[in-house]
Amino acid sequence: MASKAFQLPPAVYSPALVESVIYDIQFYLDWVRQNQIRKTVGAKVKEEPTHSAETVIVIQTWLAGKPASVESLEALLLTLRGLKLPEVHIMLAALPNQTQREVLVNWFRTNVSPSLLLSFVADRNLGGGLVVRTPNRVFDYTWKQQLIAGRTKLAEILKRV
Amino acid sequence: MNLQVLMLSGIVVMLLLVVVVQSFQLRRGAKQRIQASAAPTPVRVSEPTAVELESKLKAAYEAKIGEATVTFGTDLQATSTRLSEQVSRLTTTVIEEELEAYQKTLEEVRHVAIQAMEQIHQAVEHQRVELRDGMEVELAAEKKLLADKFDAKMGDVVSSYISESLGSGVDLGAQMQFILTSLEAHKEEIRKDLLNGV
Repeated sequence: MASKAFQLPPAVYSPALVESVIYDIQFYLDWVRQNQIRKTVGAKVKEEPTHSAETVIVIQTWLAGKPASVESLEALLLTLRGLKLPEVHIMLAALPNQTQREVLVNWFRTNVSPSLLLSFVADRNLGGGLVVRTPNRVFDYTWKQQLIAGRTKLAEILKRV
Repeated sequence: MNLQVLMLSGIVVMLLLVVVVQSFQLRRGAKQRIQASAAPTPVRVSEPTAVELESKLKAAYEAKIGEATVTFGTDLQATSTRLSEQVSRLTTTVIEEELEAYQKTLEEVRHVAIQAMEQIHQAVEHQRVELRDGMEVELAAEKKLLADKFDAKMGDVVSSYISESLGSGVDLGAQMQFILTSLEAHKEEIRKDLLNGV
């Protein structure tokens, strides 16, 4: 399983989700190792921990139909920890729901880069539109910014009135 | 024969005697002439003649003195006239030359002064233009700054008003089309920045 070819599923779109998935997989690996020891010594096997939907999708994408093993999961962990993905912070007037979030994530991964992490922040003072913050720049496409940029129009309108 | 000799001897003797006498007389005459020339004999004039001669001499002397005085006076007058003319001409020439030099110097000074005045005028004009331009630029900048401040304030007021008016009733779904249109419009810009940053 080449780590270069691995693409995060659209459901795992943010750095926090990646961290959560890593934590889940590490927790699962620990459980698997402990159970192996328990089985060896004849102790009672613990119940399998629950996984988040994102973790399940990531593991399924990684395994690609092959059976899970400790080695493959360790390799997945290594791959996830080694990922250096560009991060983009999106600020909106309100937090997007799942559908809106998927639309935005799809748009970014399709039009900007397939390996990209997004985080969403809400600020109702924006009124509308969005602010895109990359590691280097801030792109302000908010209504507020557009109003400020078009302040000459406002002056012209005021003159006409 | 003897007679003849005797006669001839007698003639010769006589001739000798004549020559000696003649020689003696000539020598005495020469001596007298020498003595006469060495000591002149004073001229003796009589009293009336002397008086007459003196009066004539005095008259002639006075005449000569008068004539010389007249001649000297005439010469002096002419010399004085010429000298005056010379002095006058010399003075006039000197004054003219001095005046000419003075005028030339004055002209040069005037020329220099005019040049200096022109330079000062140009410098002042240049300074004035620079000052005016600078002030115009500063004024325009100040005006623009005030207008920008006013516009910014006005923009802030309006945008704040709109934001406040929208309040919590933000419908993100209704904004999605606007958001996606904005992203599409700046797609390349965002992509370029992200790819350069990685």
